[in-house]
Amino acid sequence: MNGIQLSRLPLSGRIFCTLFLLGIGCGALAAFAQASTAVGVSPAAVQASLARDLPMTGMHHGEPSGEKEIDLGEISSEARMTIRTPLLIQTSHTHLFGQTLIAGLIGLIFLFTSVRERTKAAIVALPFVGSLLDIGGMWATRFVSPSLATLVIVGGTVFALGYVLIAALSIRDLWFRKEAA
Amino acid sequence: MIIRVVLLSCAIAAPALAHVTPPVVLASDRDAITTLLPGARRHFVHEVRLTEEERQAVQKESGWRPEEDFYRFYIGRDEQLHDLGAVAFLTEYTIHGAVRVAVGLAPDGRIKGALVVELSEETYPWVKTAIDGGLLRSFAGRDAHEPFPRAGARSSMSAFYADIIAALVRRAALVYEAGVMKRQRN
Repeated sequence: MNGIQLSRLPLSGRIFCTLFLLGIGCGALAAFAQASTAVGVSPAAVQASLARDLPMTGMHHGEPSGEKEIDLGEISSEARMTIRTPLLIQTSHTHLFGQTLIAGLIGLIFLFTSVRERTKAAIVALPFVGSLLDIGGMWATRFVSPSLATLVIVGGTVFALGYVLIAALSIRDLWFRKEAA
Repeated sequence: MIIRVVLLSCAIAAPALAHVTPPVVLASDRDAITTLLPGARRHFVHEVRLTEEERQAVQKESGWRPEEDFYRFYIGRDEQLHDLGAVAFLTEYTIHGAVRVAVGLAPDGRIKGALVVELSEETYPWVKTAIDGGLLRSFAGRDAHEPFPRAGARSSMSAFYADIIAALVRRAALVYEAGVMKRQRN
């Protein structure tokens, strides 16, 4: 792109780009571990943390109270994080800024690979699309339908796929591609 | 050129990423209910939707207006179905993350105990200092109308979170009184 190619970078540039991609990869693994332990990475777990809290007693709108006997087994024995609207706002603002900046930075490195333009356009879009599906899915789970929790998982997967492709192709160009004169 | 752009972007990205504070869950809901309702043989969910008058009464008493659509209490009873107490979960969202507490209430509305069940990584040291200083024990035996203990000589952030926890505990007692006790009397 514009005559600049990763394979032509000096050693310092190659080390910088490689370590940056590696660091983001480690961060992504830590984020996955954090998501698995705090919320869970299945649609059911996402739904349990994000979906609106509905009355357990079946109390209808306008009814003043309701009561129902329960077995304690119905209450979660797992330490589970609940994400209500204020926390969803907080999570959205930090993650949308953070993930978009990460997508932008790794995408910026990827723009200087030798991949064909159409393929490059598709791959560079993946982390951005993944972020939007991920965070958008959280809002959709809470306010549209709990069944849309799947979007959060799909979004995370798309982001991860984008990262893996970008990192692998960039590292190939940085270290293994011989520049034709 | 690339390096310059990436470095500049990193400088912009750092503050945004620094805001992410992961949550810390200290106890499950079931564990909190079991701890705060010892001796209960049967458990019930009791949900109340406060009327406008009840919401106003709570606000007049405390300055806090209950805004949730409904409030849930887990009620513990013995084999003869005598009330042994109730547990409510309340959350406050602060700029440093959420703080969620479980509050155990006796049938007369007095506080039996409280547990912090969820907070954020950032608030953890402040809240821990408050808990280690005996904050949660200090609530036992009080009702919603008694003055709550003020935070002692801790750090200002620890005192801030101690006040938030105290407010949540008091709110649980106020909602229980308005939505359960007063309705039973009427």
